[in-house]
Amino acid sequence: MIQTILDALSYGGLYGLAALGIGLVFGVMRLVNFAHGELIAIGAYLLIVTIDLGLPISISIAVTGTAILALLMEFSVFKRLRLAEPSVLLIASFGVSVFLQRLYEVIFGALPLSGQIAPWMTGVIEFGDTTITRGSLVTIGLALVLLGGMWFFIEKTTLGLQIRAASSDFQTARLLGVRSNRVIGAAFVFSGVLAAAVAFVLVTQRGSVDPLFGVNITILALVGTVIGGLGSLQGAALGGFAVGTTISLLNSFLGNYRIYTYTWLFILVIIVLLVRPGGLISNKAVKERV
Amino acid sequence: MSLLNVEDLQAGYGKVQVLFNGHIKVEPGELVGIVGPNGAGKSTFLGAIAGAVKASHGTIEFGGESIRSKNPEDIVRLGLALVPEGRAIFTDLTVNENLRLGLTGRREKSGAQKAIEEVIDLFPVLITHRNHQAGLLSGGQQQQLAIARALVSEPKLLMLDEPSLGLSPTVIQDVFGVLNRIQDQGTAIIVVEQRAHLVMSIAARTLVIREGHVRATLLREDAQDEARLAAAYFGTGEDLE
Repeated sequence: MIQTILDALSYGGLYGLAALGIGLVFGVMRLVNFAHGELIAIGAYLLIVTIDLGLPISISIAVTGTAILALLMEFSVFKRLRLAEPSVLLIASFGVSVFLQRLYEVIFGALPLSGQIAPWMTGVIEFGDTTITRGSLVTIGLALVLLGGMWFFIEKTTLGLQIRAASSDFQTARLLGVRSNRVIGAAFVFSGVLAAAVAFVLVTQRGSVDPLFGVNITILALVGTVIGGLGSLQGAALGGFAVGTTISLLNSFLGNYRIYTYTWLFILVIIVLLVRPGGLISNKAVKERV
Repeated sequence: MSLLNVEDLQAGYGKVQVLFNGHIKVEPGELVGIVGPNGAGKSTFLGAIAGAVKASHGTIEFGGESIRSKNPEDIVRLGLALVPEGRAIFTDLTVNENLRLGLTGRREKSGAQKAIEEVIDLFPVLITHRNHQAGLLSGGQQQQLAIARALVSEPKLLMLDEPSLGLSPTVIQDVFGVLNRIQDQGTAIIVVEQRAHLVMSIAARTLVIREGHVRATLLREDAQDEARLAAAYFGTGEDLE
């Protein structure tokens, strides 16, 4: 039972990190970035190909490389589409996603690339009759540190305040002097850092990476940002956490019927959206007043 | 040299041109009104000056410097602040956070906290709500917050787009009373309004915009001349420029 709860929390933390990465970029650009999956994939590739240099160096390279790729996406494609309709941005992100998948095939091959990143994470710790996996504990710890760090950055720093303002009303934020390139660039960099963290956990669990490595978690994290409340950073993290936790619990409780996990997940998602179309965090206290 | 000098300004949204001939001069410390019916191009005029709407033609000089091709975030740093129509406060942030955002556009980074305290003195109603969510304020309080937020950047020119929109008559009097005090402190002001009498009561001169053109300039005493006012506002008779 304890392991089930820890698994649920670790899944929730993982999906929360992925959803927050997507939510950050959506907030400042109204861009649903499908290419976030390819940021996760490059993080995993970089971890595997550099692991011989030692874990700390490998993680540093993965985080830096993923953040740089996120910035490159912004400068090479999305910056040129600032004034475009959201649908154009969406299609552009599909384009970037497919382009990067093919590029990974050319560079790393179409077959999965294997490697052991942190084998100590696959072991178990015993507490009396209870055994829990180290991976769950590390994932929960990593999620707590990163989500806590992001909360501090967003809530307590000037740049975080500017990102919140830009997420709420970009044009007004600019009229007050908020530099658009700076907040959008920061959002992409943090999105890349969070993608690298997700890559670390996933590649440790799976032991291999392929060009479609980040697609599945990105789609589910997108669902999380929607049910959390699009445009709300806390909502994105909460929505992602809810999706991850639900998947893990459904997997446990459905047992041999776990092939229906996603069926039940999306039934629950539809119910949530029917009850709260604005997402879990929609501020009812704030109304138009005269 | 005028603080703001705009000539032959044209602006719009995509292929739709809204402003065909915008021009205005504002001297330091002056309060100028702009009136006109719905859809006349008043908000587009202010938006183009502040860099929020792309101008396709014309000149905009602020403090002798051309600002037509500058971004809004650069223009506010030169000392030109816009309070947009509908207040545009960040309802999910606190009053204090909204004011802190106003500091972003300050030219002088020192004295930021003092600037907030001075502005709060001007709008004492905000004191008790500093840590409250801005969306919970009344409409009048939100309007005062929007003006206060623009003032903490210590602008040389403050532009307000329909500050009376959606407010009760007594609250409107409060808001417009503060504008006189802001002007007394040396800040030039442009106020856009649909209510001609309201803005003409505080402005030395008022421009009338109709169908994207500046059609007339009225003086304070013209507010008593209903026929002249109606002619300028609704376009009956000749333009009065």
